[in-house]
Amino acid sequence: MDLVVEYNSLLNFINFGELGLMDNAYYPFDTYNLPYAICYRLWEVLGGTIAWLLNLLFPDNGVSRWLIGEGASTLFALILFMLVMFIVVFVCTLISLWMERKCLGRMMDRRGTMVGMKGFLQCVADGLKTFMKENTLPGKIDRMTYMWTVSLVIGVSVLVACMVPLSARWYVVDYDTGLLIIMAFFALAPFFILVSGWAQNNKYALIGGMRAAELMISYEVPMLIMIATTALLAGSFNIGDIVYAQNDTVWFFIPQIIGFITFFFCATAESERLPFDIAEAEAELVEGWQTEYAGMKWGLIMLADYFRGYVACAMVTIMYLGGWTLPFIGDGPIPEIVFLLKTWFVFFLMILIRAALARVRPDQILNIGWKVFMPLSVINLAVVLLLKVGGVF
Amino acid sequence: MSDSLVPVKEIEEKMETDKMWIIMGPQHPFSHGLWTLKIQVDGEIVTDAEPIVGYLHRGWEKEAENRIYPKIIPMADRLCYAASMTYTHLYCMTVEKALGIDIPEKAKYIRIVADEVCRINSHLMWLAAVGTDLGNLTVFLWAMREREYFLDLNVKLCGARMTTNYPRIGGVRNDVTELFDRDILRTVDRFEKAMWDIIALMDDSSIIVSRMKGVSYLTREQCANIGMTGPAMRGCGVDFDIRRDDPYDNYDKVDFEVPVLTEGDSYARYMIRIEEMFQSCDIIRQAVQKIRALGKNAPYRIKTPTKVPAGSAFMRMEDPRGESLMYLVSDGTDKPYRLKVRSPIFTNVSTSKVMCQGCRIADVPAILAQIDMCLGETDR
Amino acid sequence: MTIKYLDKYPKNLAKSLWVVKPSWTVFKLFCKTVAHRPVTVLYPYEKEWVPDNYRGRPGLRFDKCVGCGMCARMCPTACIKLVDAVDDEGKTVKRPQVNMGRCAMCGYCAEYCPVDAMTVTPEYEIAEYTRFDLLYGPRRLNYDKTTPGMEVKLEVTLPSDIANGNPERRVSLFDLDRPELTDSKCIGCKKCAKVCPVSAITMVEKGTNEKTGKPILRPEIDNSKCICCRNCVDDCPKDALEIKEVL
Repeated sequence: MDLVVEYNSLLNFINFGELGLMDNAYYPFDTYNLPYAICYRLWEVLGGTIAWLLNLLFPDNGVSRWLIGEGASTLFALILFMLVMFIVVFVCTLISLWMERKCLGRMMDRRGTMVGMKGFLQCVADGLKTFMKENTLPGKIDRMTYMWTVSLVIGVSVLVACMVPLSARWYVVDYDTGLLIIMAFFALAPFFILVSGWAQNNKYALIGGMRAAELMISYEVPMLIMIATTALLAGSFNIGDIVYAQNDTVWFFIPQIIGFITFFFCATAESERLPFDIAEAEAELVEGWQTEYAGMKWGLIMLADYFRGYVACAMVTIMYLGGWTLPFIGDGPIPEIVFLLKTWFVFFLMILIRAALARVRPDQILNIGWKVFMPLSVINLAVVLLLKVGGVF
Repeated sequence: MSDSLVPVKEIEEKMETDKMWIIMGPQHPFSHGLWTLKIQVDGEIVTDAEPIVGYLHRGWEKEAENRIYPKIIPMADRLCYAASMTYTHLYCMTVEKALGIDIPEKAKYIRIVADEVCRINSHLMWLAAVGTDLGNLTVFLWAMREREYFLDLNVKLCGARMTTNYPRIGGVRNDVTELFDRDILRTVDRFEKAMWDIIALMDDSSIIVSRMKGVSYLTREQCANIGMTGPAMRGCGVDFDIRRDDPYDNYDKVDFEVPVLTEGDSYARYMIRIEEMFQSCDIIRQAVQKIRALGKNAPYRIKTPTKVPAGSAFMRMEDPRGESLMYLVSDGTDKPYRLKVRSPIFTNVSTSKVMCQGCRIADVPAILAQIDMCLGETDR
Repeated sequence: MTIKYLDKYPKNLAKSLWVVKPSWTVFKLFCKTVAHRPVTVLYPYEKEWVPDNYRGRPGLRFDKCVGCGMCARMCPTACIKLVDAVDDEGKTVKRPQVNMGRCAMCGYCAEYCPVDAMTVTPEYEIAEYTRFDLLYGPRRLNYDKTTPGMEVKLEVTLPSDIANGNPERRVSLFDLDRPELTDSKCIGCKKCAKVCPVSAITMVEKGTNEKTGKPILRPEIDNSKCICCRNCVDDCPKDALEIKEVL
């Protein structure tokens, strides 16, 4: 902790950490948190202004005093903090969405999106378009389930995307089991998709929901084995510990090259991207489990897919590509940018896979999951155990 | 068996496991055109399938009875948008046979070139459809890109991209345009190179191959019983190609191989079509050399009488999709009395029940893409 | 000829996770299209070059047209209609009008035009807001940049020429066919002379009717003027005229 604070005091040109923020009795984090510090200072300006104005109107009132007090400041700073975290993740996701459209276009010998800012504003245009569409509901659906499942799919995806730390100073929670918690939230969505498929009173949606469950039981186990392997190598489930363990030794994709490739494909399956998007296979099931969702709901589902893709890439980055650290440099001045660049590199690989491969069949994904990924992950575990026992790590 | 155990078998028998009918089409991403496939599924496994065609019925045959002979040529283009040249060619051949005339050599070779360009067009369209049905959009766009060069050749030859309206009764509309032979040879050379890129995407990708290999077997006997023709039939081990076995125009004077595979699965049908594209390139090269050798002043169109003598004639040809046939009954006027079209797809699509049984829902588009559905000719 | 593809494939599928080569192929194209540009033509902003013989909408050269109606007769979708139009000298003449909503762009009008007044044009952007706007009158059909390449020449070889060992001779389809009169059917109504667009038919006196004493009129066809448009054949009330086909 001290090390991080010292580091920031040296290199951070916006020095938010030195102003007694962490001496606040209500400080919600264990360590220094950059977005929170920004939000706290922001609230000091905003809340201070409000308090000053109130004080001019009603001299010496209690509200003004409460507003600039430690507790209220922490509360409002946390609200701002949530907004900032979401907006940053949202923008990152939009960038990856833009990147996919552009790169996929080039790989297919076409242009990709072209609306403003090299096509970036197409995301905004699409968002506006879906937002303005009529909110149609099909008849004879289980309306309640229909609504809450899709809300939960989107909500869980956004939540898990916001929980990914961008650096040692940019996080929401810093649990010792951070990796596990992210994976647990990540794996929730297929259940809702299954229920949603039932609720829609549509055969395509039903099959799509079943397939989502089928997909999940095929990749989830090897994926968890590989997470355990990485944790074994790093000695912790804490994301920060895993990243700094890689910084101290080598990036983990070198000792676990098998695990890296397997986890990459598992992550592709987890985010339901193309080789494994059997739940929404548009060739045979019209839009899979999303068939009956229209307008803004569909737009948000699409966005949630990209949130999940972003998280999957971030997991690969954290577990195998050294997170926000660089070799010989360590954290560097802006570790968040390093992390995002690595994430987008992994996302580029996913785009490449999407452009090159076709969709697998539901029975093939089970075969691949249990007959290929599973043995590979166990081999990976064995290699890591040997390395650990041999004292290399 | 002790009493405490649950009688699993009895419960299973009591349980009703419904088979579900899924109706794919006419508005469905997999149906390239307006048709419906009803599949009965048991879980993911297809137990029955039933194709329903007829949404695009335009009364083509009846309409042809009210037109003078040259006016049917633009209509014959519209039988199949992907292979317009072959249908026009077939119609012209039928009328020529009824008239009992022989067309000039040059026209025959030009028709061969046009036909083979059309075959490549059609097969590339099919390849694009296979790509999307298997979930790979890259194949779709790459195949369409290659197709564009051949459509440009069509423009160069006769001024239209798809509905070419090029063959005429007694020859072709116009002579090959200037530098057309040079352009087509370049395009063919370029295409053969570019084709290997698409093959690298399809055949070197284990996912695509495993999706197609070993599904939807058809035997020679089933082919014969149902009446399946074309590349799909040659993929089942039937060594028959009308271009070679019952040659029309000058196909007996060009040298080409007829690819035949005995596997009879989806992948074999795919491979036959890919190889046919390469063979078409060979045929084009030879035919262009023949056209060059005939010189610029050789006749390409002869004058034909407007009235066809009473009687009947039929002609068949190797369409990109199979064996297409036209049967013409004339009553001696300048309009046909009856013109019957035998479309290969109309019979080929009836194999969908045999082919889909036992496969999975995910395979249905991949299997039916191998039929190369075209509704214009099916429903007529 | 050789089999080019079948003997190279299928490869050994034991490597069931073989995804490297397609990815590499795609990556190569990615690098290429990033360095250069994709093959896409940005259509509304850039247009592909089209040759002169491109079959867009039909074009009409008003002064060349004789109003014979061959285009209307041969149009497979019946979208051409002859309408009255005022020519440069103020006379009312018959000229074709094309309903572009039904036009199939088959090029038959240009092909069968005996005087090559109808041409194909490379103009293909003909969308309009109303159906009425899709009616192209004779003046609107004019295309400014008409080149000789846009004319469709219909040249055929006669089967008799081929049989005579003279296969290189090509004639226009309308050069040799001429209407022929069956004298016994003709009633001398002058209808053919009226409908002939090029005034190739003149009514000639061929003796007098014995009963009434009126002159017997018979059409005489000037072969150098005739364009074989079949108007006289179609309008003959007694089917006395018939096209004699030269083969």
